[in-house]
Amino acid sequence: MVENKMKSFVPEAGTCIPWKIKKEEFGVLAGNEEIVKSSWEMLDALAYAFIWFWVQR
Amino acid sequence: MSDKEKLFQERFKRYTVALECGKPDKVPVVFPLGEWVVKYTNTTLQEAYYNVDKSNEIIGDVIRDLDFDVMFGAINLWWPPMFDGMDCKLYKFPGIYFEENSGFQYVEEEYMKAEDYDEFIANPTQWLATKYLPRICGEFAEPGSYRATVALIKGAAAFAMHNDKLTKTGEKWAKEYGIVSATTGMTKAPFDTLGDALRGTKGILLDLRRRPDKVLAACEAIVPHNIAYAMITAAGDTSLPCFAPLHKGAYPFLSLEHWQKYYWPSWKAVIEGLWALGKRTFFFAEGDWTPYLEKIAELPDKSIVFCIDLTDAKKAKKVLGGRFCLYGGVPTTLLTYGTPEEVKDCVKRAIDELGGDGGFVLAAGGVVMSDAKRENIVAMIEAAREYGVY
Repeated sequence: MVENKMKSFVPEAGTCIPWKIKKEEFGVLAGNEEIVKSSWEMLDALAYAFIWFWVQR
Repeated sequence: MSDKEKLFQERFKRYTVALECGKPDKVPVVFPLGEWVVKYTNTTLQEAYYNVDKSNEIIGDVIRDLDFDVMFGAINLWWPPMFDGMDCKLYKFPGIYFEENSGFQYVEEEYMKAEDYDEFIANPTQWLATKYLPRICGEFAEPGSYRATVALIKGAAAFAMHNDKLTKTGEKWAKEYGIVSATTGMTKAPFDTLGDALRGTKGILLDLRRRPDKVLAACEAIVPHNIAYAMITAAGDTSLPCFAPLHKGAYPFLSLEHWQKYYWPSWKAVIEGLWALGKRTFFFAEGDWTPYLEKIAELPDKSIVFCIDLTDAKKAKKVLGGRFCLYGGVPTTLLTYGTPEEVKDCVKRAIDELGGDGGFVLAAGGVVMSDAKRENIVAMIEAAREYGVY
């Protein structure tokens, strides 16, 4: 069974799951953190825009 | 650099000089894109809504021989397949609900209940994802189910696909026609975000009497999100203003007292927040905003483009002119019910009254829908070129 490591948090505007939260869950990153971080934030922003799209008509 | 690229640069400069309240070589003129272009073809509105490539073909045929600087509006503002995939209740489109030449309709409900305020205020994004989406989408009736999971995949994929289409379309108009987009990104006044799609008109008007503190707290909670949403949807661009369709702030929807207390502070905070990031707001003031001009004048210089629909144009020029770019001058009703001669007279008058010292963009004052006449649009653009040379 997968251990539930997910914390509860209030994401700041522009984010759904901020990198700092996910980084803690990943633990130590073996490779280049910046590449992982920038891709995470790009997709997170898309998810954020999708969620808020429905009320910005 | 190709001729079209040179033309784009020339028009971009013309438009952005005006946005900065300067005097370009000519008054920039805006083509009002809308569903009206479809009625001059054999295509149905349903096909134009669903098929972005088809609607682009139609637009290309209409604009090919016209000389204008900036394009504003869209046929495919909402892409129905995205809504169909999630069984979204917010809109009804031709095809499933209406015959194929009907326009779309928004279905307003209290999708957020009065008792939801505290949870929404505490964590707006999570509340939207976990409570709002299941309420507005039939496919999400059982969150986590097979149907809901597939619908979420479809909705997100459609969102990305449509955004990509829109981006490529803007690039096509720039490259092949030398046309500049009026805006990049989108935002709203927090009161409109809350009143349009969450509480609904009836809900928010009752809230002003029954739970006014909740309205204020919710609007404050929305402010940073409407700044972030603008910058994300603009992909960080600050060269062009952010589109902001304004609904419940037009006079006399709210009393002056309610407007000052509930509508303006959070909307001003969004505009100032964007301006601090270098992003100007396209203050799309449909309807009449005359009583509020002095309050709007409190904004930082050049932080908005003020769009004149039914607002008193002379007063807008007096109160805002020189400090903010003014946009509009041609009522949408004239484009539907007027004649080309009346439109030309209106354009001449608008340029004389509003554009004499720059800081003015000639355009329709609101969204031009399906009932506008093509000959009036052409007359507007031709007259702008005839009378709009500085």
